[in-house]
Amino acid sequence: MSKTPLGPIEIEVIRNALTAAAAEMDVTIWRTSRSTIVRELLDYSTAVFDAEGNNLAQSARIPSHLNSMSHFLRELLDKWVDPESWGPDDVVISNDPYCGGQHLPDITAFKPVFHEGKRIAFVGALCHHIDVGGLVAGSYAAKAIEIFQEGLRIPPVKLIEKGVRNEGVWAMIRQNIRKPDLLLGDLNSQIASLEVGATALRRLAARYGAEGMIEAGRRILDMSEAAMRAAISRMPDGTYEFTDWLDDDGIDLGKPIKLHVAVTIKGDAISVDLSGCSPQVQGPTNATLASSNAAVMFAVMSACDEPFAANAGCYRPVTTIAPEGLVVNARHPAPVVHRIAVTHRLLNAMFGALHQAVPDRIPAAYYGNSYVCTFQTVAEDASREVLVEIEIGGTGAHPAKDGVNALSAGMHNNANIPIEMIEAQTPLTITRYGLIPGSGGAGQRRGGLGLAREWRIDSPRCFFTANMDRFVHAPYGLAGGGPASVGRLVLVRDGEESPLPPKCDNVPLQQGDRVRLETSGGGGFGDPASRAAEAVARDRRLGYAT
Amino acid sequence: MSERPIRIAVDIGGTFTDLQVLDSRSGAVRAWKTPTTPEDPSIGLMRGVEEAASRFGFALAEVGLLLHGTTIATNAVLERKLARGVLLTTAGFEDVLEINRHVRRELYKVDPDPFPCLIERDRRLGVPERLRADGSVEAPLDEAALPALLAKLDALGAEAVAVCLLHSYRNPAHEQRLKALLAEARPGLPVSLSSEVSPEIREYERASTAVLNAVLVPVVKAYLDRLERRLGESGFNPLVFLVQSNGGVCSLRTAAEQPARLLLSGPSGGALAAGRIATLLARPNLVAVDMGGTSYDVSIVQDGRVSVVTQGEIDRLPVRLPMVEMRTIGAGGGSIASVDHGGRLSVGPRSAGARPGPVSYGRGGTEPTVTDANLALGRLDPDYFLGGAMTLDMPATRAAIEAKVGAPLGLSPEAAAEGILTVVNANLGAAVRLSLFEKGLDPRDFSLLSFGGAGGLHAIDVAAEMGIGEVIFPAEPGTLSAYGILYSDLVQDIARSRVLPAVAESLPEIGALIGALREEAEARLAADGVAASARLLEVAVDMRYHGQAFELLVPWGEVAAPDAAALATLLARFHAMHRQRFSYADEAEAVELVTFRVIATGRLPKPDAAVAPPAARPALKGRRRVHEDGEWRELPVWDREALKPEDRIAGPAIVEEAFATHWIGRGWSAALGAAGALIARRDAP
Repeated sequence: MSKTPLGPIEIEVIRNALTAAAAEMDVTIWRTSRSTIVRELLDYSTAVFDAEGNNLAQSARIPSHLNSMSHFLRELLDKWVDPESWGPDDVVISNDPYCGGQHLPDITAFKPVFHEGKRIAFVGALCHHIDVGGLVAGSYAAKAIEIFQEGLRIPPVKLIEKGVRNEGVWAMIRQNIRKPDLLLGDLNSQIASLEVGATALRRLAARYGAEGMIEAGRRILDMSEAAMRAAISRMPDGTYEFTDWLDDDGIDLGKPIKLHVAVTIKGDAISVDLSGCSPQVQGPTNATLASSNAAVMFAVMSACDEPFAANAGCYRPVTTIAPEGLVVNARHPAPVVHRIAVTHRLLNAMFGALHQAVPDRIPAAYYGNSYVCTFQTVAEDASREVLVEIEIGGTGAHPAKDGVNALSAGMHNNANIPIEMIEAQTPLTITRYGLIPGSGGAGQRRGGLGLAREWRIDSPRCFFTANMDRFVHAPYGLAGGGPASVGRLVLVRDGEESPLPPKCDNVPLQQGDRVRLETSGGGGFGDPASRAAEAVARDRRLGYAT
Repeated sequence: MSERPIRIAVDIGGTFTDLQVLDSRSGAVRAWKTPTTPEDPSIGLMRGVEEAASRFGFALAEVGLLLHGTTIATNAVLERKLARGVLLTTAGFEDVLEINRHVRRELYKVDPDPFPCLIERDRRLGVPERLRADGSVEAPLDEAALPALLAKLDALGAEAVAVCLLHSYRNPAHEQRLKALLAEARPGLPVSLSSEVSPEIREYERASTAVLNAVLVPVVKAYLDRLERRLGESGFNPLVFLVQSNGGVCSLRTAAEQPARLLLSGPSGGALAAGRIATLLARPNLVAVDMGGTSYDVSIVQDGRVSVVTQGEIDRLPVRLPMVEMRTIGAGGGSIASVDHGGRLSVGPRSAGARPGPVSYGRGGTEPTVTDANLALGRLDPDYFLGGAMTLDMPATRAAIEAKVGAPLGLSPEAAAEGILTVVNANLGAAVRLSLFEKGLDPRDFSLLSFGGAGGLHAIDVAAEMGIGEVIFPAEPGTLSAYGILYSDLVQDIARSRVLPAVAESLPEIGALIGALREEAEARLAADGVAASARLLEVAVDMRYHGQAFELLVPWGEVAAPDAAALATLLARFHAMHRQRFSYADEAEAVELVTFRVIATGRLPKPDAAVAPPAARPALKGRRRVHEDGEWRELPVWDREALKPEDRIAGPAIVEEAFATHWIGRGWSAALGAAGALIARRDAP
């Protein structure tokens, strides 16, 4: 076996090959998965790790996943799986937030890769599954008060051991979920993707040897760390604090949840203290460390002023302090399925703090929220159709640019569903879809606009479920810029409007009812009085401002 | 179609207008190049034709067919030199065009740019009306709103109107009525209906396509009018066809009404050439790679057919019309090599472009590029670039590589230059691998077809990386697009969306739909003067499992009135395609038909081309110092134009021709094959 000595050229070639391996794993899931949530909403991610579980390369999918998988794998290696007995033909899966995961619908599968008897890497694939049992279809209950209601918890377990399927585990999963064919189909595609990734890594190892792969991994991480430290060094030292709020947890209505961050930049390192956050809450608006770390990392990586290869080397200069029992590091058995809300708000708070350090780079708050709602229509013959919608709002104004109207921002990245497709398949009519004038925060730079979407029920009955936020605490402006609008959810019945709760399970609706969602815009940046006259005139001409 | 013997293909690029002239009496094909005239490309076109006529000795009156590839529509969009458009939508949905589909492309970017939107909010007007998904009317078109609408159109200074109403793909009545009312009230104001341009389900993509079409109509029509006038002035009266995005050509009339069909025609020529070469060389499976200054385009020919998709995009604007399938990465001769603060070497996607260009061009470029690395290693000849038209600056190139890459990484200039090539070749290989992998194809079943100005220096290394054992360097790689255009056919795509279950009960509706589409296709081909014997009508259907939100394009062949057996064949084909592409199929699951398509081809005659004889000079030009496999060596340099069929080139070696240089790596051998192509194969181990 010829071993090429590793110069900077070989390192870059290997780094690209690792990214290509993650991309091939990504294509494998796209090609072989079954459920709509994976295939069309593209709610999955794939990654390659070094032999210790550090992320080396990732596919470009969902921000909330990407920087959490390394944390999960390292937790598994530290606490749950004996690395010595984890062989090349063993696939370990888990969805447990209390073993390093995020929330139950996300099942992650990992597998080690060996060359000449030595472990050289891991490959991993995370899918958001369509249902993992629990209180409501889709496993996204707004009213759960403990994790046991949220669905099936899978501890770290060998789904495949020495190449043989662990049938007991498969049967246990099958018995506890609503759409077993879809979930198990998607799980199979995760396993197929691990094999594709492992094959690509073994091909590399044949050229560079086990030692070469390990050495390359080490240097790839070091290079991203060095680039990240150089970027942090260019930020001024100091401690920067900021607080933002979630409206409530859906149980204790009207009681806001505090997200406070203290970001300390010192030399080429950053430490983020989350000790000032609210204690964990009763409802599912909690996060475990995997989720909170992903938000912290996403904020810091976005704030750096030059692009670098995203991998675990980027994490090294950043320390997160988050005592257990807080909303950002919930203690078992708190429910956590709506952890995305915590990560959105944590990112908002992180940007508010980082703005003080690098005011020319950080935008005002985006809408900060996944507007998730589900319509389950029931026809005369009791047949049912389900529509899951994820809407978005406006992005925050940047020091040099207005915010963008209606764009997926921050911790998620989802597409909308065409109106004509919905109406062709579901007894629902969309009666309005448009921007909301004046919903962006005022400023020298204006925040992006939120939008309004209105659904009319055409079936005899319908059940409506929602999990949303930012109905009380508006996206903030910066440097004198104004806040954006807050969201609204309205029921229109017989010409009368009444508010619907933004966190609700199975509200019964009837034919002819209309549900209108109005989403937040983004915050403004800078003094509105200093907005250029042409920009003001344009806003008026286009009806962006009221 | 035409008795006159000369056929001309013209491909107008940013810098050069390329011509290929075929004389069907002798089979001779000849190439010509003339500078493009960006202010009015028809001037350069006409000049090129006249120069070719005098050079190759034919009369303009002998030209029967002019096949024209043009970027006029593409450039108008990229440069935003477009008509002032107004969009009419169903009231309440005026913002759909701006709301877009939400997904962002760059995850970590803190100051995202909005998606481009060609018609601003004050020029999007709602019309009171509403159709249901089944085409029935929920609210009739309120014609009483027309006077106010006209007043707004006038006040806004509308030069073109696009109309996109919800569910118009299912029932175009309201759109058609609006067009009639507007034609009566404002004759001369061009109106593009989404139900005519792209009658497919998904309101945003259909609106985007209709808007692009509308704002292009005045621009393209003005160009075509000028072109026709210029042709007439010179006593030159050929049939003129324009290259479309779908890999076929269309008439001037179609192009004037539906200019959106020209938008993504750039890759069509190369893909057409790949298809033609697949036939001539009996290589049904080709990966065609076109490497220019800034980008690397990968397309696939599988079983002799160029792969086509039903949607493309230009400048982030979707175009819901069939186009040649292409994967593009930002890697070309001008890609810049740099070292970041962490000591990481990256190549591209930043590019030096044509200005300032690579350091070696001596036009002020200071950052080393891929072309510079090739020069520094001796693979390019500083005195024979573009056939000697340009001299490259070797000392400045070596100095830049040394300073910007070598010194930061502690490498010699040679090692740094080799490193740049190694990195870029690995990136190119990854793009090719992914293009095949996502279709479930194995690289070992494919040959690599290399063209474009920069392709020849990288093709062998990419093939070796991929496990591909054969590389084809076609004749005239610099004018290959024009060559492809020379052999194109008229192709009209007609589509209509109708979401139907794939069951026997739907057959009457399917039959009626296909019947109507076929009738329209026949009429269009007849209007373009295609004889009945030269027409081919093929049906294809976009299909999916119930609940999926994307479709597979499934060919159905020449069906006219499908019966239960034909439907069963279609279903079986869908399941089989689904299994190949997505590795599973479920025959028990409900299948839906979403969009019906008729691909109407008017075959143009394809005279055989004769291969040009070799130039009367020695094929082995000489030897040059080239850095290869770690040291400087004297390597043979071959003259492509003088190669004879019996010549055998053993790598490492260089093959030069006027507009391209090819690198034959160690362990590879090359010789001439059919159609003047140079074919390199990996030596048996």
